[in-house]
Amino acid sequence: MEKNKRGLGFYLRIYRKVLVQDLKSKMSYRADFVISTIGMIMTNLAGFITFLILFGKFPSINGWDYHHMLFLYAFSLIALTPVQCFFDNNWNLRFMVQSGDFIKYCFRPINVFFYFISEVFDVKGLGQLAFGVGTLVYAWNKIGLVVSVPIILKLLLYLLTASLFMIAIMNAAAATCFWIQGSGYVMVIMFRFKDFAKYPASIFSGIFRVIFTFVIPIAFVAYYPSLVLLDPGNVPLLSWISPALGILFFYLSYKFWMLGVRRYDFTGS
Amino acid sequence: MGNEAIVMKDLCKDFKVLNRHEGLKGSIRDLFSRDYKTVSAVRNVDLTVNKGEMIGYLGPNGAGKSTTIKMMTGVLEPTSGEILVNGVVPYINRKKNCENIGVVFGQRSQLWWSLPLIESFKLLRDIYMVSEKDYQDMLELYRSLVDIEPILHKPVRQMSLGQRTLSDILAAFLHNPDIVFLDEPTIGLDVSMKAKIRSLIAGLNEQKNTTVILTTHDMGDVDALCKRIVIIDKGQKIYDNDIEHLKSYFGSYRTLRLKLDDDTWEETLIDESKTDIMEVINRADRQKKIRDIELIEISTEEVIKKIYEGEAS
Repeated sequence: MEKNKRGLGFYLRIYRKVLVQDLKSKMSYRADFVISTIGMIMTNLAGFITFLILFGKFPSINGWDYHHMLFLYAFSLIALTPVQCFFDNNWNLRFMVQSGDFIKYCFRPINVFFYFISEVFDVKGLGQLAFGVGTLVYAWNKIGLVVSVPIILKLLLYLLTASLFMIAIMNAAAATCFWIQGSGYVMVIMFRFKDFAKYPASIFSGIFRVIFTFVIPIAFVAYYPSLVLLDPGNVPLLSWISPALGILFFYLSYKFWMLGVRRYDFTGS
Repeated sequence: MGNEAIVMKDLCKDFKVLNRHEGLKGSIRDLFSRDYKTVSAVRNVDLTVNKGEMIGYLGPNGAGKSTTIKMMTGVLEPTSGEILVNGVVPYINRKKNCENIGVVFGQRSQLWWSLPLIESFKLLRDIYMVSEKDYQDMLELYRSLVDIEPILHKPVRQMSLGQRTLSDILAAFLHNPDIVFLDEPTIGLDVSMKAKIRSLIAGLNEQKNTTVILTTHDMGDVDALCKRIVIIDKGQKIYDNDIEHLKSYFGSYRTLRLKLDDDTWEETLIDESKTDIMEVINRADRQKKIRDIELIEISTEEVIKKIYEGEAS
């Protein structure tokens, strides 16, 4: 019997089952669950207060007023949720590769990247999501954006796009561990870069703008996609094509990750 | 397709290792260095394993055992030579190859750490697309061979080493693969657990005609399970024959340890077919007072050394 029917449906089904089991076992460690949720809320609150203090004083940055900045901030928070919730196991990759434990992901007849990533679901990201949604709704109202089905669909599409970029950045950063020892620093630096996502890329000049657009595409984690909603009359080309670019970056990061698996020697037994 | 589970012809695997230089200057040089040396982990290995066979794959640490297994499981690509596992080239068709193999690699559990064993089983059932009937039949077979009830609902992270090893072996056989690779399955276990695991493996092999490739340092495992032994050293196959043939000479070797009056141990390797142990003890006793006696079966390493020195082939 030929078994070639492992399509998208198969992977979604497996993912759902792993997720349900994982949540069940997490609930059984209640203290851990509560403490990490509180931790996440505090982190977000601290970030938010810093933000208020910083931008409450400035009426406008480069043509961006307070509520537009708030919109961008909320947009980036939501866009960063998927990488936190679904791709958190990337942080463990380097330890597994160094200890040799990574090899176990190569013994199943399923995609190695999927198998590895599916193993961890981080619920802490959900607090951030709730926070982001609340802030976005507030900013949306203050700016006076309309609410309609096409606009909401547009919002969802561009949020998804934005998260693809962050996922791609973290995939690529994590995969460096197949080549270099100090990949932990690469990941931390890349993760720090996400803090730039909440600023309009127009405030960066020259070389930094190029870097944050094409090399480490942080500007796509909020700025370019949100322009489609904030400034519909004046959308740059990069914003329009960002969904395609997001898929491309994600695909490239996935290929890079898998290339690492292929080239890794798995020394030691 | 023929009767072969695994066919390897002239298989080689080289690793490129950077020649490291000393000191800070050296480290900086290494960053840009193209100065690699080639290390041959596996050299020109020919091996054919038939369906249903259980072979003991032995060799000292660093001999190339793991590398060979990694090539058979499709994790590593051979540098040269041919390899076919169930008629599939493993590194080209990794996923297809993985359908038909099961792997227990060292003491590294491949199960979902926080899940009860039964949930891991269900996930594996889905991943390997095992039909409900085959799945239930397999659980039934497990029940007939070992007492699985105490571990079935226990999260893997709460298990003892023995229970975890047992679970990993059961998980490796769950999709009824044609070949199972077992790397050191009894390492660190107590005698009764070892016996349990050996009889489980023997039972599964008998019931399902599964080919088993067993890597181990424990001659007890080999004795209990394997009819055929393959020994590899420095990347080359140096022995491939019946265990009876091997036993015919390593069985007669034992290490005699004598504790002398000054609390020191003296070791002698004795070939019992030539020398009488009692005679050695008596002779030693006449010279110094003996306080304790130990008789140790020869270790795999020593057997390999003997083979390498050309005492058998």
